[in-house]
Amino acid sequence: MLRTVSIDSLMPYIGVVLLVIAGSFFFPQVLSAGYLSQQLQIAAFLGLLATGATIVILLGHIDLSVPWVLTGAAILSTALVGSGNPVLSAIAVPAALAFGALIGIVNGIGVAILRIPSMVWTLAVNSMLLGLAVLNTGGFNPRGEASPLMIAMASGDILGLPISFLIWIALSIALAGFLTRTPFGRYLRSIGFNEKATFLSGVSTPSVVFTAFAIAGMCSALGGVMLAGYANQAYQSMGDPFLLPTIAAVVIGGTSILGGRGGLFGTIGGALFITLLTSILSVMQIEDAWRNIIFGTIILVMLLFQTLRKGAAA
Amino acid sequence: MVSIMSDNSTPLLEMRGISKHFGATKALDRVDFTCNAGEVHAVLGENGAGKSTLMKLIAGVLQPTHGQLRVDGQDVFLNTPQTALRHGLVCMFQELSLVPDLTVRENLLLGAPGAGLGWLAGTGLDKAQDVLNRIGAGQIKMGTRVADLTLPQRQQVEIAKAIMKKPRLLILDEATSALSASVVEGVFDLVREERDSGTAILFISHRFHEIEALADRVSVFRNGQRVETFMKGDHTYSEIIGMMVGQKIEELFPPKPPSQRDADIVLDVQNYTWESQVRDVSLSVKRGQIVGLGGLDGQGQGAFLMGLFGLLRKAEGTTAISGQATEINSPKEAKKRDISLAYIPEDRKTEGLILDQSIQENLELAALGRPDLDAGDTALYAGSLDQLALKHGGLELPVSSLSGGNQQKVVLAKWLALKPRCLLLADPTRGIDVKTKTQIYAILRKLADQGTAIILLSTDYEELIQLCDETHIFFDGKVVASLNGDDLTPENIIAATLNVASEPQAAHA
Repeated sequence: MLRTVSIDSLMPYIGVVLLVIAGSFFFPQVLSAGYLSQQLQIAAFLGLLATGATIVILLGHIDLSVPWVLTGAAILSTALVGSGNPVLSAIAVPAALAFGALIGIVNGIGVAILRIPSMVWTLAVNSMLLGLAVLNTGGFNPRGEASPLMIAMASGDILGLPISFLIWIALSIALAGFLTRTPFGRYLRSIGFNEKATFLSGVSTPSVVFTAFAIAGMCSALGGVMLAGYANQAYQSMGDPFLLPTIAAVVIGGTSILGGRGGLFGTIGGALFITLLTSILSVMQIEDAWRNIIFGTIILVMLLFQTLRKGAAA
Repeated sequence: MVSIMSDNSTPLLEMRGISKHFGATKALDRVDFTCNAGEVHAVLGENGAGKSTLMKLIAGVLQPTHGQLRVDGQDVFLNTPQTALRHGLVCMFQELSLVPDLTVRENLLLGAPGAGLGWLAGTGLDKAQDVLNRIGAGQIKMGTRVADLTLPQRQQVEIAKAIMKKPRLLILDEATSALSASVVEGVFDLVREERDSGTAILFISHRFHEIEALADRVSVFRNGQRVETFMKGDHTYSEIIGMMVGQKIEELFPPKPPSQRDADIVLDVQNYTWESQVRDVSLSVKRGQIVGLGGLDGQGQGAFLMGLFGLLRKAEGTTAISGQATEINSPKEAKKRDISLAYIPEDRKTEGLILDQSIQENLELAALGRPDLDAGDTALYAGSLDQLALKHGGLELPVSSLSGGNQQKVVLAKWLALKPRCLLLADPTRGIDVKTKTQIYAILRKLADQGTAIILLSTDYEELIQLCDETHIFFDGKVVASLNGDDLTPENIIAATLNVASEPQAAHA
């Protein structure tokens, strides 16, 4: 874990603290346990997506299929629960995760075997999933409902902490351990820096790419399942607003978009920061136009800071 | 412009009291240096002696901490490469500066005079084509992407690109390091012609015979200072090496032990064929033997070596490791315990190392995939790092902080940790200073003595003669000569590389 704690990855945490302090001047209720706990709950959805995205970005690739893997998993899981069959209902969550892993492997095949740039391949996969979903539902909102398990995962709490947040953090810690303590993690970063040299060092790089995309697909699917639990339904395009914030959370968390450098610790901060920023801007009832401008500016400033610091270090 | 060509009293370039500090490191320390029009001035020194810094100052890439540069007797301040270019100072760098995804033509026109906003004139391309033809690179098509060229071809394009800029002072920094003897000869003819028309040439090379062939004056650098400048021929090789490192040339190569004819064969390859590039190659290497692969560039020796490591698809032929027929389809298979091959690739910066990662992480990368080794155990690397005398400020620093020679030591140590039974090396000493070369020769010989079989591809025929027990020369994908013992002479090697039967023929001009 320690290796991933760099100044870059601490930046979003500093940002979070500043946001809370600044926000509390305008709205004292920002400091209330209720508000903060709700933010943690909501941040978990973005955070789970960003966790998967971090792994793919560390690899030097990008996964643009997040929105429709998320939506697909949500539709699949709610449809299984909605069927009324207790067996189908019980396998709803694992089936959705398997769906995510499958799409991840499809992504891996395109990137590692067919050697198509991930930006193009995953965008095409995203588009195909969209088409499949529309064919499947006829363009209407899919019928179905969330299971009690899905609802608990999204909205329950233990000892005052949202379960969604706990799931997110537990997954992040497990994956961070996986990334720092196994050869896989080392290979992942090495490929992100220099795939050729890694391959020539006797590493089966395609299997690393497969695994990374499969993990990312499962993270997106888990996010989809939990969002469906949160809304107690799935709906078309539910994943679309998440794509850019997901990538922003990863990058604000100090992970280099070029691969190799970064980690999950920063991503947690990045997801918290973006969630809180969005929330405070909306609480302050700032016009949408300004909200977008402020949002974009803050992301640019943080990235600029990272770049300048790196330039100064070099 | 002032008339300077014939004016010998004012040097074309003069540097006075130049110092360049990087933090606490003094890369150059109060150096005085001059270069005249119409001379080839060789600059010698180990890596880290300050040569590259000196060149970068002249090319406007770096600016001196103290001191003054003068061109034609006028003080100049070269704050960008464009400014240097305006004064006619052109550098062809050791680190290749071509854009891989652009074509040869586009690369040649990048930064060409008159290029900028507006239309590209394409003038000068004829000149570039002419240069390419003359240095044996006529087959390179202008429309080819640079990424698809071999390393030597890229170097040839670099040379054409530099000459196209019509330099008054041309810096060749290891410009011929990847080129084979006959191509180098063509480059040299061209350089001599440039010199005779009044261009000053600054020439950096680690190959003594190149300096012998080309230089008029020689300057030796050590530890950021200029040790001495003298006319070529005033000092012998050993004296020059003495100036550089305090070592004699006889000490460069370890003594060759008598060959053991009855040693076990470690790697035996029969009828190896790959597409049209490698044709029916059969050779074997025994325990404790160093086998050399020579030849002009791209005659199949490089592809053959890659093929042994499992990097080529659809190759034909049989491979046996210690008598066991084996098929090797990937580097991952090649490094397995029961096969145990190691491959040191040609380009250490892009293929051998991950420059952004630490020395330690680079060292561990090959051992990580071997279940029988604990990659985190520093004892795995300590032995070879000690023997190679790796100079570093801490293993946790990025490997990019090391000099070229030290980087190559890391690549070697990373593979030696696996105790390979057969070591494949693709030109491991290219662009490396004399002292590091010596260390690498010594460790190769020691490994051989301990029973490792070694295949060494080299573009430096001194290595093929002094270090190898047997040398196979490739021509057009085939082995045309296998030399050992007393047959291993420069004449025989050159004759074989040009594929002429007996009488050595002069390289075409």
